[in-house]
Amino acid sequence: MRWREFQALQKVTEVGDRFVSYVDQGFGEPLILLHGIPTWGYLWHSVLPALARTHRVLVPDLLGFGYSDKGDRFDRSIATQAEMLDGWMQGLGVERADVVAHDIGGGVALRLATLFPQRVRRLGLMHAVCYDSWPIEMMLQFGHPGVHRKVSASTAIAGLKLALKQGFASSPADELLDGILAPYATEVGKLSLVRNAAALNTNLTTEITSLLPRVDAPTLVLWGEEDKFQPVRFGERLAWDIPDAKLVRIPEARHFVMFDQPDAVERHVANFLDQT
Amino acid sequence: MFGSGKPRPVDEHEARGETERVYHEIRQTLRVTGINLNFRVWASFEHFFPAMWDAVQPNAQTRAFEDAADRIRAEAARSADALGRVHAVASALVGESPAYQVRAALDLYHYVNPKLLLLTSGVRLALEGERVGGSASGPAERIVRGAPPRMYPMEMVSEEPDDERTREIFADIQESLGISRVNSDYRTLALWPAYLEVAWRGLKPIATSDPHRSAAEALRQLARTEARAFPYPLTLTSAQVEALGEDASAVLKTTAQFEDLLPGLILNVALLALEERDAGALARSPFPAATAGGAR
Repeated sequence: MRWREFQALQKVTEVGDRFVSYVDQGFGEPLILLHGIPTWGYLWHSVLPALARTHRVLVPDLLGFGYSDKGDRFDRSIATQAEMLDGWMQGLGVERADVVAHDIGGGVALRLATLFPQRVRRLGLMHAVCYDSWPIEMMLQFGHPGVHRKVSASTAIAGLKLALKQGFASSPADELLDGILAPYATEVGKLSLVRNAAALNTNLTTEITSLLPRVDAPTLVLWGEEDKFQPVRFGERLAWDIPDAKLVRIPEARHFVMFDQPDAVERHVANFLDQT
Repeated sequence: MFGSGKPRPVDEHEARGETERVYHEIRQTLRVTGINLNFRVWASFEHFFPAMWDAVQPNAQTRAFEDAADRIRAEAARSADALGRVHAVASALVGESPAYQVRAALDLYHYVNPKLLLLTSGVRLALEGERVGGSASGPAERIVRGAPPRMYPMEMVSEEPDDERTREIFADIQESLGISRVNSDYRTLALWPAYLEVAWRGLKPIATSDPHRSAAEALRQLARTEARAFPYPLTLTSAQVEALGEDASAVLKTTAQFEDLLPGLILNVALLALEERDAGALARSPFPAATAGGAR
């Protein structure tokens, strides 16, 4: 699916003064898929059709990401994102959902599972930021306010494209990378991504570490073994700290495990959602 | 227009020093999320630009200025309603979120363009030696600063987009309207290329018609009348511009070109917005301004 086709699927709703774009496909128990940085809901386009056969799949763009609000006047931290999701779910009439999340979306999901536990039925974590696993150096640098002035959108996109490739064990097609970065190719998009990067804050996962043993949602921790951005040792810790968690290590996969090993990811997620 | 080699607009992320300060002041004072082409081109006259802003800012922050822009917007809505209809959104936009965002983008420009016209008319009249403003006998009421929380960011594609079809549309817009740079409005709508294509196809015959030209001229005259009634004097002469080391005739030429261009642009945005709401609703400001606490 090309990114424009995915964009055309997006609905929109307002949460407070912000608007949130999201895909809503399929029927059944609600399943929310959360993306990380620097991606957007399009991250999930390849697994969406299969999951939508058995679930109502909801794929929001987090605030400041993708085609949700990118105004330069609100907080984009994972704390705010979790609060937004709580309001967004309420607005959609979704009381509880399975949540599968990647990268900083995983941090958002962890906050949702610990601070809004009534919202999370089952939890899937892929390469989730947690403890002090983040921010990675590249994103720390990208979040400096000076980047907006020093680097044009086209230069930023070229750099991010190169950096993203390090997250793949396979060779991603240009079309895929262009699709992932499409919302950030304008100056406003670039600035929004800079602000998103500036909002990455270790404290927002370390402060919930003590709450992890209280997570009662069955949890799948799924990790590409070769991830250099969020190493698998952090997945191991999560699997120890969350009581009903199971770690699945995926060989020959890096950060973007859903593209490196799409069949394995689809199988493990589907089994997890079917069996628990 | 804005002929080759001169002047080169200063994009927001490129702004430094005084230009960066003025850009911030523009966003706060005009209550807008971005800097329109008008200002980006004026900013290429680096000494003129801050002097121009310092001259217009006392008026631009007033309730009288906001109300005058509201009257221009309302007149544009009525005029556009009489010009015909452009059918774009329903046939071109696939998806609820893109349609929502197009509406939000049109609201942004429907709000800010009348303010730009008013301000530009005032500057042109002053540069041509006419006395502008000074109707207030005391401090004028001010409006709150800062862009409204729900205003769409002024996002736009590159002036030279990668997409060939969009480049062709931009070229057609430039040729049809006699402009050498594509306005922010069209560059924003190009975020949804399928929409821009259908919108421009519908707009073009109306935007190049005699009734459109007449309506645009009426708007321009209304803006001039409103500018002459600014509460504070707008003191900005060509002699001052020359004293700043700028080419006053080039500044005036650029200013005049924008004053000529903006009324048509205001009508075109209104024509597109009319697809989603009636002229009565469109005549009201999408972002009414609250009054600030006391006059400065």
